Amino acid sequence: MSIAQVQKVQVVAHSGVKMEVLSALQEEGLVQVERTDFEELGLNSSSVDVYQLEHNLYRLSHALDYLSRWDETGFAKKLFAQKPQMKREKKDEALWFDYLSVLNEVEKIETKKNELLSELKFLKKEMEFLDPFKGLELPLGLLKPTETTEVLIGSLLVSRYEDLQKISGEEGLWYEVVSRDKRRFYLLLVYHKQERERIEQILRELHFAPFYFTEPVQITEPLLSKTEEQDRVKDVMRKIDEEMQVKREMLEELEKEEKKLFEHREQLMRVHDVLLNEKERIFCTSLLGETERVVYLEGWVCSSDVKELKSKLQPYSEVTELYFRDPLPEEDPPVILENPKPGKPFELITKLYGLPQRGSFDPTLLLAPFFFLFVGLCVSEAGYGLLVALLSFLFIKFAKPRGGLLQFLKLLMLLGISTVILGTLVGGWFGFPVRPLMILDPLQNPLSFLYLALALGFIQVWFGTLLSMVNSLKNRSYLQALFVQGGWLLLLPSLVLYLAKRGSIWGILSLAGAAGIVLFASPSRNPFARFFGGLYSLYDISRYLADVLSYSRLLALGLATTVIAMVVNNLCQEALGIPWVGWLIAALIFVGGHLFNLGISFLGGFVHSMRLQFVEFFSKFFKSGGSPFKPFELKSKFVEFI
Amino acid sequence: MALGFTLAVFGGALAVVLGGIGSAIGVGLAGQASSGVMSEDPGKFGSLLLLVALPGTQGIYGFLSAFLVMLKLGLVGEALKSVSVYQGWQILIACFPVAFAGLVSGIHQGKVCASGVYMVAKQPKDLMKPVIMAALVETYAVLGLLITILLLSGIQL
Repeated sequence: MSIAQVQKVQVVAHSGVKMEVLSALQEEGLVQVERTDFEELGLNSSSVDVYQLEHNLYRLSHALDYLSRWDETGFAKKLFAQKPQMKREKKDEALWFDYLSVLNEVEKIETKKNELLSELKFLKKEMEFLDPFKGLELPLGLLKPTETTEVLIGSLLVSRYEDLQKISGEEGLWYEVVSRDKRRFYLLLVYHKQERERIEQILRELHFAPFYFTEPVQITEPLLSKTEEQDRVKDVMRKIDEEMQVKREMLEELEKEEKKLFEHREQLMRVHDVLLNEKERIFCTSLLGETERVVYLEGWVCSSDVKELKSKLQPYSEVTELYFRDPLPEEDPPVILENPKPGKPFELITKLYGLPQRGSFDPTLLLAPFFFLFVGLCVSEAGYGLLVALLSFLFIKFAKPRGGLLQFLKLLMLLGISTVILGTLVGGWFGFPVRPLMILDPLQNPLSFLYLALALGFIQVWFGTLLSMVNSLKNRSYLQALFVQGGWLLLLPSLVLYLAKRGSIWGILSLAGAAGIVLFASPSRNPFARFFGGLYSLYDISRYLADVLSYSRLLALGLATTVIAMVVNNLCQEALGIPWVGWLIAALIFVGGHLFNLGISFLGGFVHSMRLQFVEFFSKFFKSGGSPFKPFELKSKFVEFI
Repeated sequence: MALGFTLAVFGGALAVVLGGIGSAIGVGLAGQASSGVMSEDPGKFGSLLLLVALPGTQGIYGFLSAFLVMLKLGLVGEALKSVSVYQGWQILIACFPVAFAGLVSGIHQGKVCASGVYMVAKQPKDLMKPVIMAALVETYAVLGLLITILLLSGIQL
C-alpha cells in the first residue's frame, strides 16, 4: 500500500545515437520523458515535422476502416479475438511490406467505385423520369417543332386537368394523356406556333411542368446523346438499362479486387502501429535539449526499474551517460501506485477519485475490503455474482485483455465472488433463499440488517478518523492528533455504548473525548474564542451521524435486488399457468428479468459502494492531486507488442 | 374494511406513479442530451446509455414498494387480507417517502445526468465522475425506499 519511489533520470548522449536511444527507451517503456528546461540550459527547442507520417497514418486507418466490411468474423468471435502480435525488436520489419502501393490500390478502387455509384444513381434518376412516358409509341425524332406546330411533353396536377380539358377545345391545343398516377397526368401537347406565347402563358397558370425532351436542359442532356431519331421512349429506357447492367458488373469486379486487398489487412495494421510509434518518437525529440554534438533527455523512472534501464542502455554506454537522483522538494514527480496482486484491481477506484498527493499514501488497500464487502451486500444475489465472476473469468482466459480492461475484469471477478458469498448468507440464488446457509433474512428481519449496515459504516468512518490522526502525526501536529482526532476516536464508540448500555464508564469516556475536542479543536489563543470554537466543532457529531446513516443504503439496495428477483420469479409462476406456451413465456421472463436485475443491481452496487468510499471515507483523510505516470512507450491500436 | 384496503392500494399505486413520473422525466432529460451528443459522435452510445439509464431507478424503487404492498395485502398469491381503515392509512403514508423522494430526485438526477452527458462528450475518459455525481442525488431516493420498506415491514396486519 504505497507509492513507488520515483527517481529523476538524466541522459546525455551523442547526437549520432539519438534515435537509437529513444527507440530503446520506447521499447522498454520505463521512463516518462519530461520537457527539457530550455531556458535554464540556454538552448532552443526544436520543432518537428510529422506531416508526412501523419498523412500516411490517416491513409492507413482510412483504408483499414474501408476494408473492414470484408471482415467476416462473427460477433462472438470478434469479442474474444486477440490482437495480432508483434515482437518489439522485429517491429521495423513490418515496414518492408510495400504498404504504399496497397494504399494506392485501395484508394483507386474507392474513387472508381464512388464514381460508378454516382453514375448509377444518375441513370436511375433518368429511368424514373422516363418511366411515365414509356407508353409513348412515337419515335423521339418526331417530337420536334415543325414549321407550324410546337410539341411539348410534361405533367399536370390531377386537380388542374379539368381546366386543361376546358381550354383545349377552343385554343388550338391538342393533347394526349400518356399515363397518369395518383397525383399527376403525363401529357403530350401539340399546339400552333402562332398561339405559342398565349398558350404557354395559360400553361404556366395551370402549373404545367414541362419536360424539355428535345432541348438540352440539365438532366436530359446526357440522355439525348444516347438517343437516335427513330428511338421510342421504350428503346431509350432499354439502352439505359443495358448501361446500368454494364456498370453493375464493373462494380462487382472492383468489389472482388477489394476483397483480395483485404488479405493485406493484417500487414497494414502492423505498418500502422509501427508508424504510429515512429511519430511518437519524432514527437518526443521536441522535448529534448540538443546542441550540435550532444542530446540531453530528462525524465522520471521508478526506482525499481533503474537497473533494467541501465542494462537496456548498455549497448550505447560508450556514447551515453546516465545520471539518477531523488526528486527535489519543489518538483512534482508522477505517482505510481504499488500494491500486491489481489489489491491491484482496486487501484481503479483510487485512480477514479484521483492519485494521492506527493508525501501522502495510497488508500487502495484500505478501501479494498470495505468495497469488496459493500458491493456483495448491495447486490446480495449469489446467482448473479456467480454469473458475473464466471463471465469475467472466461473473458480474461480467452480474450487475454491487458492494462486497464484486465484490471477492471479482475475487479468484477472479485466482486462477483463477494456477491456469491454474501448473497448466500443474506440474499438468495436467483430469488430463492437457501435458508440453511443464511445468517440473516433481510426480508423477515430488516432491522438486524440495518444495524449490520450501520455497524459496518461506523467501523469505516472510525477507521477513516484514525487515518486522519495518522496524517496529523505525520505533519507533527501532535496536539491536534492526540486530543481532537483522538477525542473523536474515543467519543464515538463510547457514546454509542453509553446510549446502548447506559454504563457510567462509557459516559465518562465520552465526556473525556468531548473535553479534548472542546479544548484543542480551535487554534485561537483567546480563551473564550477557543472554548466556543471548540464547542462549535463538537457540532461535527451531526456529520459523523449523517455519514454512518448513509450506510443504510446497503440495506435498501440489497433488499431491492432480492425483491425484484422475487417479483421475476412470481411473474414466471403466473406465466406457467398459460396453456401450451406457458413454459416458454416463463423461461423468457426468467432470463430477461434476472439479466435486467443483474444489470441494475451491479450498477447500483458499484456506484453506491464507490460513493461510500469517496464521500464518507476519503473525506476524512485522503487528499488527491498527484499526476499519473505516463511512460514513453510503444502505443498500439491494432496489434499487440510482445 | 373496504376503505382501508382501497387506501392501501392507493399507496402502492402512488409509489409506482410518482416514482415513474420522476424517472420518466429524468431519463427523458438525459436521453435528449445524449441524442444530441450522439448526433456528433455515434460511437458514444454505450457510455451514454449508462448515464441515461441512471435516473431510471426511482421508478424501479416505486415499483418494488408497490409490490411489497401487494404482498402485504395478499394480492399476490395467497388470500386477501382484511385491512382496517387505520391500517390502510398507515400503508398509504408508508408509501409517501419512496413516492415523493422518487418524484423529485428522479427529475434532479436526470438534470445531473444530462449535464454529465455533455461532460462525457468533451471528456470521454471521465465517465464515472458524472455517474458518481448522479448517485449523490439518488441517495435520497434510496433513503426514501429504505424508510418505506421499514415502515411497511413494521405495520402489522
